[in-house]
Amino acid sequence: MAKTIYRPPVQSKLGQLIDSLFLLVLVLASLFVPVYFGLAGGGKTTLENTAKTWEGLGQNATMQAQWEKLGYTPETAHELIVSRFDYSFSVPALAITAFVVIAYFVFVFRWSKKEYKDVISERFDR
Amino acid sequence: MSQYTAVHGEKVSLLRVLGPGHVWALGVGIVLVGEYMGWNFAVGKGGALAALIACWAAGMLYTCVAMIDSEVTSTVAAAGGQYAQAKHIVGPLMAFNVGLFLVFAYTMLEAANAITLGYLVQTVGGMAGFADTHDKPFIVLTIMFLAFLNYRGVYATLTFNLVLTAIAFVAILILFASVRPWTDEVLKPHELLNGLPYGWLGVLAAMHFGMWYYLGIEGTTQAAEEVRSPSRALPLGTMTGIITLLIAATMTWYICVGLMPWEYLGQAVTPLFDAARLTGSMPLMILLFIGTIFSTLASANGCINDASRAWFSMGRDRYLPQVFGAVHPKYRTPFRSIVFLVPVALIFAYFAPLDQVITFSILSGLLEYTFMAFNVLMFRKMWPLGTIRRGYVHPFHPLPAVVLLILCSMTYFAVFLGYGTQLLAMMVFYIVASLWFAFHRYKFVKRGDQFSMPWPRPVGH
Amino acid sequence: MENLNNFQLLEYAAWGISALLGLWMLIDMIRTNRAYSEDTLLSSKEGEIEDVLVIDPPHQGGHR
Repeated sequence: MAKTIYRPPVQSKLGQLIDSLFLLVLVLASLFVPVYFGLAGGGKTTLENTAKTWEGLGQNATMQAQWEKLGYTPETAHELIVSRFDYSFSVPALAITAFVVIAYFVFVFRWSKKEYKDVISERFDR
Repeated sequence: MSQYTAVHGEKVSLLRVLGPGHVWALGVGIVLVGEYMGWNFAVGKGGALAALIACWAAGMLYTCVAMIDSEVTSTVAAAGGQYAQAKHIVGPLMAFNVGLFLVFAYTMLEAANAITLGYLVQTVGGMAGFADTHDKPFIVLTIMFLAFLNYRGVYATLTFNLVLTAIAFVAILILFASVRPWTDEVLKPHELLNGLPYGWLGVLAAMHFGMWYYLGIEGTTQAAEEVRSPSRALPLGTMTGIITLLIAATMTWYICVGLMPWEYLGQAVTPLFDAARLTGSMPLMILLFIGTIFSTLASANGCINDASRAWFSMGRDRYLPQVFGAVHPKYRTPFRSIVFLVPVALIFAYFAPLDQVITFSILSGLLEYTFMAFNVLMFRKMWPLGTIRRGYVHPFHPLPAVVLLILCSMTYFAVFLGYGTQLLAMMVFYIVASLWFAFHRYKFVKRGDQFSMPWPRPVGH
Repeated sequence: MENLNNFQLLEYAAWGISALLGLWMLIDMIRTNRAYSEDTLLSSKEGEIEDVLVIDPPHQGGHR
């Protein structure tokens, strides 16, 4: 069954320019939106009850020597040593994220399949 | 190498001049910078041991990627790599998304490299006693110079990459030998290692940056229209590339955790250079500084090469404006794509925050690997072994695809832990872009012509 | 003060070279666009996988 071959319209130069810029603006928006709304990055916590000495920070002799070679004192290293990432998260947020990722792939694969059928029939049924 | 003015029968194509060495340099060159900086954030995420586990888990992820990629690309050898694979196996919308993953993953990595290089030059200027130094001129120069090189021809570009990458890799080997890992005179891992400070959740979280040990090795496929013998050179270059990286990654980990407390290592900007500093040897410091600079240059260079090939192939198929599908008749490069991506990279490098840029890059890679797992399953089903000529057939199918999917899911979770909002913002970007393509852009695309491989009709269609 | 000028010189040189390279690419691109027909420039085709299929014979087997 020979189908008619699809003839795409020719795009004007202006249209080509607008299409290029659209993608660029879109990607910049998705980069900056999380930053502007202050939602970027995970939380941090700090360990408590730590004195600002090597012993108080739980550093043994070797660690202590290396810190000093790197140019740190217990005062300057304190911040680095006691800082911890906060890995607590909400289950609904995880569920929403998982849903979005999965839905995205399902949509893309299904839609692609639909378009792919036309490609194959035009390529092999001619 | 001399340039030819080559217009035969009014047709120009990309120039087939590359060998397996260039493919290796393209793959490893993009990634090796990850050993010089970035991988160590995995240490911060879960401790030194977690970083090693992540290093090997991510190593497994990328071994699967390399195996799958080698098989599919030894058959679908077209500039655009995974984009062309998606077009032939899954369909246009997936292909468009994959093309965007590639372009943005590489262009953002390029920007990140330029930022790092600018920062290094500025730091050296500061250390040499200059006040009021700026990084911006060097960021811009890096991008401009490498774009220029790419514009002038692929052979010189990737030969340059081969030299830079080889030097940066040898620098890691020399550092490893100089710290005498067979003794405990310099390296003291027993006294510095401290188990898993975050437990096993930390190991999972470390997967986020564990990817940095290898991110970009899959870019070897972009050279498909420029290698002399794609079905041989691409699998060979990719496989030797991943082996090189596995060795370099493990060595880097061992050197660094034997020298630095994990709390420092987990936030260091240039861990290998710091390691050289701790050995107290001036020649090693200079060597590792050069290695760091060279690896950022090689990476940015490879990124320009890969991103422009992907952009070019999409233009050629009219997925993007067709003007980008042009090849320079003299230099035989996709010159308009290269030029167009220069300001894009400059905008990212100039205005966007580094960690956003990097996260976007990692996530685009992750989406791409998820696609690859499904892609190879469909590929084997639609063209079973024996129906078409394959340059390489990967063993244990479908195990690599399944392992890849499991590891990808773990990494999504790791990214969610640290950058959940960015993950969603980026998904919104790809969803909007998909809708735009499906309902607007696709009308400009020729249907049957996209399928360019001389294959039989796929099974089941 | 002397040193300061040296680094600043380096920075100006970086700006200058960047501008030159950018300008060169731009000019070459415009000249190439004018010198060849759009059909020639867009004539590359995907899927020419082995050397035998590559269109220009002088380049078979790559550079020598």
